[in-house]
Amino acid sequence: MKSVAEILKEIRPEFDFAASSDFIADGMLDSFDMVTLVAALDKNYSISILGTDIVPENFQNLQTIEALLRKTGAKL
Amino acid sequence: MSPIRTPAQVFDAIQQAKAGATAFCTNFFPVDSKLQAWIAHGELSVAWHPGAAFFFRNDRDFQRLYFCAANESALEQGLAVTPALKTGRVMTDLVGNEAALSRLLPVIEQSGFRCYTRLQRLARIGRPETGPGTSSTDFAESTDAAAVLRLIENAFDRYGEQLPTPYEIESAIQHRQVLVARHDGELSGLLFFETQGLASTVRFWAVAEKFHSRRIGSALMQHYFQIHGPVRRFSLWVNSGNENAITKYRHYGYTPDGLIDQALANAKIPA
Repeated sequence: MKSVAEILKEIRPEFDFAASSDFIADGMLDSFDMVTLVAALDKNYSISILGTDIVPENFQNLQTIEALLRKTGAKL
Repeated sequence: MSPIRTPAQVFDAIQQAKAGATAFCTNFFPVDSKLQAWIAHGELSVAWHPGAAFFFRNDRDFQRLYFCAANESALEQGLAVTPALKTGRVMTDLVGNEAALSRLLPVIEQSGFRCYTRLQRLARIGRPETGPGTSSTDFAESTDAAAVLRLIENAFDRYGEQLPTPYEIESAIQHRQVLVARHDGELSGLLFFETQGLASTVRFWAVAEKFHSRRIGSALMQHYFQIHGPVRRFSLWVNSGNENAITKYRHYGYTPDGLIDQALANAKIPA
């Protein structure tokens, strides 16, 4: 199973996600990337992230994404 | 169809479509600020069907269709019973790589849409070396808004490319995201962009026809790169058939990143 950081790196290899606390404000993830990321996380962790959870604050940084995954039942 | 009055209605509709999804498919990639602006201007409405939500956004004299569906079958069935597709002018887009497009395209075509135009995304990493700046370009001012809109509407196809509304142009000018060139008291060219942190997208780059061959486009692009020192990723969408524009973008180091936007028109949209 891939880590969140590895999945992000696959989507946007040019950015250092570990160095950012706000991926959206820093322009590292756009709206297309968010949908790609949700699909990749759903598949990788065998979960279904709720539509109501697909909001920028849940994709701000590695910690918020991992918190969302835990809430959705993923085993990290 | 019901008008959308809050972002929560959008997320609830997405949630209903996504619940129990076996192969979730969507062309709806809402950016929070844009979503709020569309709602504030009364442009967005929604129609629900089992396993699918259809969002319609008013755009000039037609509507843009966005969908979220649990799978292709729910999408196909929902499209078949959505009356607005038979009575009004509707455009929709499929965004993804070739594989994703080839899966969804037959479903959309089945419901009466035809391929209208195709855009491809180009990107470059890092800023290119550019020549010294010129004083012939500057940020647009609020008094330029009407001329900016005119030039964009003359240079681009309102159905195939998502042209900005007057309020979007005013906001972009206010946020210093429109560069312009002026000649003989007229707006001769513009470069309209969106920058967010380390990423920047050129939305429109145009020179009025009577000012072609004066290196105005080049001056605008050089100015654009000069003010984007910290940006890491530059991108834009270009019509796949516009070889002239693609050649120019390649000159600045942009290359295809694999993402495609297939615009489709229903029967009411003129060819």
